Amino acid sequence: MDKSLFASMPSLTPTLGFASMIGLGLFSLALSYAVKLLLVRNTHDFIIADRRVGFGFGVASVISVWTWAMAVMMSSAMTFQWGLSGLFWFVVPNGLAVMAMIPFARVLRKNMPEGYTISEFIQYRFSKSKVATGIVTLTMIFGIVLEILINLKGTSLVVSTVFGIDWRVATVVGIVCVLTYSYFGGLWTSVMTGTLNTLMITVPAAIVVAAVFATVPGGADAVFGAVNTAGPEYLSVLRPEAAAGFGITLAFGLLAATVSDQTFWQKVWAIKSRDVGRTFLWAGALFYPIPICLGMLGLVGIAYGLTPADFGGDIAAVGPYIVSHIGLPLTLVLLYVLVILAACYSTIDGASSALSSIVAVDIVKRYFPSVSERLLFPITKISVLLGGLVATIIVLSGVDFTTLVLTTYALKTSILLPLVFAILWPRTNTLGFVGGIVASIAIGMPIYEWVGELAGTLSIVAIGGLTVVVFGMLGGKDFDVTSLRRVRDEIASPVPSAE
Amino acid sequence: MYTLIVVLGIAAALLFLAGFSRGLRNAVLEYRRGKPEPTEVPDYNYVGVAAVSVVLSAGFIALAGVAPMWIYAGPLLVLGTAAGIGIAFFVERPSV
Repeated sequence: MDKSLFASMPSLTPTLGFASMIGLGLFSLALSYAVKLLLVRNTHDFIIADRRVGFGFGVASVISVWTWAMAVMMSSAMTFQWGLSGLFWFVVPNGLAVMAMIPFARVLRKNMPEGYTISEFIQYRFSKSKVATGIVTLTMIFGIVLEILINLKGTSLVVSTVFGIDWRVATVVGIVCVLTYSYFGGLWTSVMTGTLNTLMITVPAAIVVAAVFATVPGGADAVFGAVNTAGPEYLSVLRPEAAAGFGITLAFGLLAATVSDQTFWQKVWAIKSRDVGRTFLWAGALFYPIPICLGMLGLVGIAYGLTPADFGGDIAAVGPYIVSHIGLPLTLVLLYVLVILAACYSTIDGASSALSSIVAVDIVKRYFPSVSERLLFPITKISVLLGGLVATIIVLSGVDFTTLVLTTYALKTSILLPLVFAILWPRTNTLGFVGGIVASIAIGMPIYEWVGELAGTLSIVAIGGLTVVVFGMLGGKDFDVTSLRRVRDEIASPVPSAE
Repeated sequence: MYTLIVVLGIAAALLFLAGFSRGLRNAVLEYRRGKPEPTEVPDYNYVGVAAVSVVLSAGFIALAGVAPMWIYAGPLLVLGTAAGIGIAFFVERPSV
């Protein structure tokens, strides 16, 4: 197949790029302001939506925060690099990671119905241990900053590539758009805008991918044939090198990304209790088609024999490059940009909302328990902006954020099994929990650095889990999980005042 | 196929938006009424259904390597996601 078909579109001007970013931001702002007027009157509403998020909003908002801008692009990139094996290993653990939340969500929602954050659970689970609580709080904050940072970076790259906007300007415009509307309504805003963003991700993705195949002379048949000619292994899901190359590491990373992420725990305590389990089931199952659909763009890249050099060297750009260069009408290219912007905005506002719950419950209320609602509410609202500001400064500074990525990875992966045991195994004790995290980082990260990702990841997970089990068997006494039911609501909802 | 996907996309979007408006209306009504939410958590673990969805997703990816027509399964399934969310709003039991 002749790749001279690919050509840049002069009609993709910076003005269109700004209009897309700001237009989506203004639409979300209008919705957010309405949400604020209708549903948000105090800190309790702002950070936990009065625990009244229904099934539909729950499913859509979980999908929206899990659909990162980078995930939209990486599904095509992994297919481009490894063929269908790459898509298989990218997709299967992704949905599974969401559904893996079900048992933990059910246990904690049932036994600690008035909770807000996972760090708060750790506080009561381990007799108010400052070390255990501090590690978990720090992990959650690092994770949130990284979520925002990666989505911001990915989106600014796409917008700058497609529309020729300076990436620094794209970064600032993007974050200002998200934070402006996130500020108003907190979790309710995140849930509502995230739900609509899921619509903007799904239907446009289907139309754009179908349009790409319709544009290729010979359609799907020609692409299939060309991929088969390029190498039949690209059409197989059984390439072991894809599993060893990134699949197994990614699977553990994704599990850690949900179970060790306050963005998901905030929803566990905000969704109506009767819907918690099935929300994560539906969200995981309904998430699957998104990367499957967008991954098919990677086959087009293989069929045309594209190389990373064709689109700037970064394989994450293969999807945006195909869509913006294959000759689609301008409207469809803009729809694809909308998919990426919607994914970016919904993940950042979800992360910002999660950060506000950490600031309110794990920092302000924990260290200043007598703080008044009059002071807590504005502090909580302003905290929505913090993660975005920090992430923006890091992105704009141009520093290599590998250290932040590695630190967050180490914390999240090392915390995975200790946290799972803390929720499910009553004999887990403070020493085992903290020791497991420290030992897995101290021993596992050097293995990760010197031996490789796969060996390092397996070591971190195994050491963390084994340490918890050993300490639990040696000195643990059973924790009375029902004692969590006595945990009072840290930020009880005052009676709404009439406006 | 492209035309079919556009038509189904519009239908899925309409179902989604109908569900969204229902969900929004219920959320506002519940908030205004202020009735405490029940705290029971159903005992279902959903393992079977979760396993089926994992196997199905893996199966659809594998099928895209068997015959060209399965490449279109992705776009069709993602419309199912939009429609599924719309349906989720209708199967939920409002507390009002």
